[in-house]
Amino acid sequence: MRPTLRPFLLAVAVMTAGCDHTITFSEALPPLDAASLDSTAGSWQMIVLSGPTQFTVAAPAAETSAAYSAELAAIKTAQTHLTATQRRVIEYWAGGGVLRWNQILRGLVARFNLPPAPRADGTYPVPDPENPFADPQFPFANPPYAARAYSYVSVAQYEALKAAWYWKYQYHRRSPSKVDTGVLALMPVSDLPAYPSEDAVLSGVTVEMLKALFPAAVEEITQRAAEQRNAALWSGKATASDIAAGLALGKSVAAVFVARAGADGMKNAVGTKAQWQALADTAVAHGEIPWISQESPPRPPMLANFGQVQTWLMTPTDVVTERPPAPPSTGSPQMQQELAEVHRTVEHLSQPQLAIAYKWNDGAATYTPPGHWNDIATEYIRDARMSEVRSARTLALLNMAMLDAAVGCWGVKFLYFNPRPGQLDPTIKTVIGLPNFPSYPSGHSTFSSAAATVLSYVFPSGAPAFDAMRDEASISRLYGGIHYRSDIERGKEHGGRIGGYAVRFGQGDGAN
Amino acid sequence: MRTANVLWLLLVPATMQAQTIDDGATIPRRTLGTGLVYAHESWSQYWEGTLKRDNQNIGTLTTQSVMWTGGYGVTDRLSVMTMLPYVRTNASQGPLHGMDGVQDITLAAKYQLLSTPFTDRGTLRAFVVGAVGIPASNYTPDFLPLSIGLASRQFSGRFTLNFQAHQGWFLNGSVAHTWRANVTLDRPAYYTNGQLYLSNEVAMPDVFDYTVTVGYQRGRLSIPISLSQQRTLGGSDIRRQDMPFVSNRMDFVRVGGQLMYTLPAPTKLGIHLGMSRIVSGRNVGQSTTLTGGVFHTFQF
Repeated sequence: MRPTLRPFLLAVAVMTAGCDHTITFSEALPPLDAASLDSTAGSWQMIVLSGPTQFTVAAPAAETSAAYSAELAAIKTAQTHLTATQRRVIEYWAGGGVLRWNQILRGLVARFNLPPAPRADGTYPVPDPENPFADPQFPFANPPYAARAYSYVSVAQYEALKAAWYWKYQYHRRSPSKVDTGVLALMPVSDLPAYPSEDAVLSGVTVEMLKALFPAAVEEITQRAAEQRNAALWSGKATASDIAAGLALGKSVAAVFVARAGADGMKNAVGTKAQWQALADTAVAHGEIPWISQESPPRPPMLANFGQVQTWLMTPTDVVTERPPAPPSTGSPQMQQELAEVHRTVEHLSQPQLAIAYKWNDGAATYTPPGHWNDIATEYIRDARMSEVRSARTLALLNMAMLDAAVGCWGVKFLYFNPRPGQLDPTIKTVIGLPNFPSYPSGHSTFSSAAATVLSYVFPSGAPAFDAMRDEASISRLYGGIHYRSDIERGKEHGGRIGGYAVRFGQGDGAN
Repeated sequence: MRTANVLWLLLVPATMQAQTIDDGATIPRRTLGTGLVYAHESWSQYWEGTLKRDNQNIGTLTTQSVMWTGGYGVTDRLSVMTMLPYVRTNASQGPLHGMDGVQDITLAAKYQLLSTPFTDRGTLRAFVVGAVGIPASNYTPDFLPLSIGLASRQFSGRFTLNFQAHQGWFLNGSVAHTWRANVTLDRPAYYTNGQLYLSNEVAMPDVFDYTVTVGYQRGRLSIPISLSQQRTLGGSDIRRQDMPFVSNRMDFVRVGGQLMYTLPAPTKLGIHLGMSRIVSGRNVGQSTTLTGGVFHTFQF
């Protein structure tokens, strides 16, 4: 080799070594080996169902029956020739059905979280649930829609699993590998009764909820749900009858929630042109400058009537009572000071502040702020090795609080119809996307405070970390140039009060 | 939407003592060339995937840069070069804030494999170039199209063939493959390629590019005209009404021309003016770029 080429080729070697495209994932889920069976979960308080026996699960065939023996034989046959793909399916679902479905749901939210493009005439089409495959696709999974979706899936899963636990301990049918040592246990197996199969319950309840919430993804959802049931069978965790009973129970429970979702006010959340105009007129009548869309062409405000959507744990009276006071008047000296603070902050952002703005941006094409808190919760649930039913409880408490926070926050946003900083001072530019709805109070702050309150209750040792994340997520909106300090402070207080409802529910639900 | 590697494609021909990566010359031994190049790039239309559109929330996106460049002839066959741009972006409409900062430093070595008379009309030369790009500041690539760059460490291997006719015409062809390291975002998850990635690391697809240049060079004047194409070997399209993402498939075809002139001795100053335009693209802006540069050489 010519001497002059050496440093050059060395540089090649160094750089190509640095171009390994392996991605480090932050949410690896090891096989779930639950810390507790939570055998009393069948008696934990229901939220929507009348009780665990609202849907009856018929008694299974005896472990000694010929029918059951045939089911065991079928598992053993399947286990003799598992393909690499089948083993990957088993490994995937061994991570826990509740957390896997939460990951899948976050992916669906991110995929569907895109605003409709404007038409040539400057108007915007509205996504149509009756025509979900059209352009624009349905839904536009923006933060309120996402909060609602996370909550429906989590609560429906939680109710279905509590019912499943009730029937499991009615019938005490053992797991296949405990009955027959010839059945391999390819997932961790415990003394949890196998009938009805919790994996099949989750498969059935989730597939129906997701088909209602993300109808355009029906093919993928159906495939995933079938995989989960297959994994339970192939792994020797459940027999065909365990799975059939679980699937039926899951689907029955889902029907209750699909019906609730159809009548919870979401259908009217977009609002009408007359309603949007009335919001502006009301603000003007109160001597305030009304919110105006800063998008071009101007876009109608996001889900103007979401504040009327049905909550989980608050009554309509609670929703009104817990509201924060009015924001500073748009003409007040305090507003001028807060406006100046936004301008000053954005123009003098430090590198760490900018990084915080991007860390918590959670804008279009992301899993949204509620998804971010599901992301945070997942790692705590995994590390605590929670059972499926307790995982579902944690996510149900979290996501009920965040849906209630979304409803509470949106109600206040459209009550005051307060302008964004960049509207009052056009020299304020933002380093993140500008949300297309009124400013006061901050949705991020409300979501994050509600979430941190619930997670601090469930994981007390994590409380300082949750509080720090709540504060960081909230102040990120000032760094981004899209919120005043009042929006953030009042939003945090509001979210904390709303989170308290979920904490009080959890304190009395029998799960402790 | 930004045109990745744009600053690598500036063409400065042989009279300028080989201060670019893809031209057909090396710097004479113990000669130092240094210069400053100003570039003004702007677009008001871009390709959202393959859909060409404008965006009233951006208006015209302008990227201005000032790049310092230096080159040194280690031997008559081996040159080393470096480039460091300062970049500023601005959107003429909408709420989004511009960004500015020092972008990526490029370090390159160019080696002349071959220099031989070819027919009786001129000289044929061949070169290999290795170039390393490293982000020189902690800028974010997560605010495209306002981000000042893609913040990926990269290495490119390049091969260049040059024919210089005695009468002054020249023909230059250059191909390169660029490997790019993973980019780290400030957020814990992102959506691209049809799936949610629960990670702050983004895999960056490789890039292939080529440039064909024809030109005339006589005395102190050089006029190259070039056609270049970049193809990103992977990555997804910007979805309808989505923002661009760092690992998008950014492809383009660009045409450009330059005028280079070396002032009479003893000034050792050279100037260049250039203009280029993207004629087709995917996930990039249809930009027009104007450049102006001043160069100086020192002999040791």
